[in-house]
Amino acid sequence: MDTLEICYMSAGALSKLVESKEVSPVEIIDAHLSRIDATEPVLNSFITLLADASQIAARQAEKDIQAGRYKGPLHGIPVGLKDLYNTAGVRTTSGSKIFDTFIPMEDCTVAEKFQQAGAILLGKLNMHPFAYGPTGENLDYGHMHNPWNPEKITGGSSGGSGSAAAAGQCTITTGSDTGGSIRIPAALCGIVGLKPTYGLVSRWGLTALSWSLDHPGPMVRTVEDAAITMNVIAGHDPKDVASAKVAIPDYTSALTGDVRGLRIGMPKEYFEAPLDPQVRKAVQDAVSLLESMGAEVKEVSFPMFNESQAISSTVLMSEASAFHRDLLEKDGHQLYEPVRQRLEAGLFISAADYLRAQQARTLLDQEGRRLLDDVDLLAGPTEPVTAPEILAPRVLAGEQEIGVVGALTQYTRPYNINGFPAISVPCGFSSAGMPIGLQLAGKPFDELTVLRAAHAYEQATDWHTRRPPL
Amino acid sequence: MATEENLSREDFDRQAELYGIIGEPAYLDELYAQVRGIHIMAKTIKNIDVSGVEPDMAFIPPTD
Repeated sequence: MDTLEICYMSAGALSKLVESKEVSPVEIIDAHLSRIDATEPVLNSFITLLADASQIAARQAEKDIQAGRYKGPLHGIPVGLKDLYNTAGVRTTSGSKIFDTFIPMEDCTVAEKFQQAGAILLGKLNMHPFAYGPTGENLDYGHMHNPWNPEKITGGSSGGSGSAAAAGQCTITTGSDTGGSIRIPAALCGIVGLKPTYGLVSRWGLTALSWSLDHPGPMVRTVEDAAITMNVIAGHDPKDVASAKVAIPDYTSALTGDVRGLRIGMPKEYFEAPLDPQVRKAVQDAVSLLESMGAEVKEVSFPMFNESQAISSTVLMSEASAFHRDLLEKDGHQLYEPVRQRLEAGLFISAADYLRAQQARTLLDQEGRRLLDDVDLLAGPTEPVTAPEILAPRVLAGEQEIGVVGALTQYTRPYNINGFPAISVPCGFSSAGMPIGLQLAGKPFDELTVLRAAHAYEQATDWHTRRPPL
Repeated sequence: MATEENLSREDFDRQAELYGIIGEPAYLDELYAQVRGIHIMAKTIKNIDVSGVEPDMAFIPPTD
C-alpha cells in the first residue's frame, strides 16, 4: 500500500487492516516517520519525535497481533500528544524551554489509556507556550505552520496537533482546550476537534492553564476517529478531582448518518459578531444541508454570548496566574514574553472581580441550559475568519479589523465557560484555499448527539477527504 | 484596586512593584495597556445583573 495512503487513512479504516493483518503496525509507523521526515521542515509540528521508540513499539504490536493478542481499534495506531500531557520517561515541555529537560516519572491518565489500548506514541507535539495563546506561535521551539499555507498560523494552543493530523503525520492527536485550543486549530487546519464535556476526560497529568476551564480531547481527521478515541480516553478518574462519574457509552454508536428530527438552534448573536462573509456562507450552507437531511433548524437567542469574552478572560487569567505564580516569580524572565505578560496581567484581577465573573458564569450556564431545552444542538462558526498570517496582531473579520486573540476565541469560549461538549468539523474552504469549521455544541455529556450530527454532515460532504498541498 | 475605575499609571506602577514585576519601560507600557484591557472587562462584568446568583462553579460534573 502507498505510504501516503496509510498516512491519510483514518484510525477506523486502518484498524480493520491491522486486525485482519493486511497492514502491520511496523508499516504504519514507518510510513508516518517518512511523512514526518518530508513535511516536518515546513510544519514544525513536533517538539520531541520518538522515532526509535515508536519503531520498537510497532514491532512489539506486530508480534502481539500476530499472536492473536489484538487489543482493539487503536492497537498499532500512531498517536501524537500535545506536549503538556505528561509521559513517563519522555520529556514534557509544555511548549517552554524552561521545561526543556523535564522528564515526568508517570504517564498522565490519557497517555496511560492510549498505551493500554495499544496505541503507539509517535511524539510530543508543539504548542503555544503553556497553552496560553490561540495562535500556535512559539519562539522557544519555533512557530507551528499551517499545512494549507505555511505562512499562516495553525491556531492554538494545540497547533502542532492540528498540523500533524491535517498533514498525515499522525493518525490521532490530542489537544487541550481552555478557551478554544482544540477547536481553533481544528477549524484552521481543516480537521475534527472535539472538546468533550468538562470532567469527561481526565485532566490528571496535564499541565493546567485554568483548572475550571481545561478540557482534554481528540484532534483527528474524521468524526469516527473522534468517537473511537473517546471510547478509549473518556471515563472517571479518581486522580482528577473534577472527573465525572457518568456512564460511558460506545461513542461510535452515534454514527448513524441520520439527523432526522434533530433540533438545531443558530444563535443570532453569532451572526451579528464580526464575521468573514465566506465563513458565514459556508456555515449557513452547512446548516442548510443538515436541514435538508431532516434536521429542524431555527434561530435562537444567546445574549450572554456577548459577555463570554469578558467572563472567560477574567476566570482564565486569574486561574492561570494563580497556577503559574511560583514559576512567574522564579523564572518569569525566561518565559515567552506575551505569555509572561498575560500571567503578570492576571495578577491585577481582584478576588472580587474573579468571583463576579464566576457569578456571571453561572448565568451564562443557565442560559445555555435553557437554550438546550428547546434544541438539541447549537450551531455556528468555530472561527470568524480563516487562518491569519503568523504574528499578525489583527485580522479582518467582515468589515471590522479586530485583534487576533479576541477573534480566534470569539465563538469557542462560551463552551469552556459552561463546559458543554463542542466539536469543530470541516465545512468548506475560502477562495484562498483555507479551511473553515462548523461548530456544534450540545448538552452536558450528550457527546452522542454532537458526534451524530457532525458525522452525518461529514458523510454528506467531501471536505474531510481533501489534503493540504504538501 | 486595579480593576476599579480609572487605573492611573502611578497606581499601576505601585501595584506592579508590590507584585515584584520588573521590566524594561517598553514592556511595562505594554503590560499597563493589557491591565487597562482587564479594567474594561471588569466594567463589562459589572454591568451584568448578578443579584441573587452565587459564584459557584458554572458547571459541576455529577458524582455518585
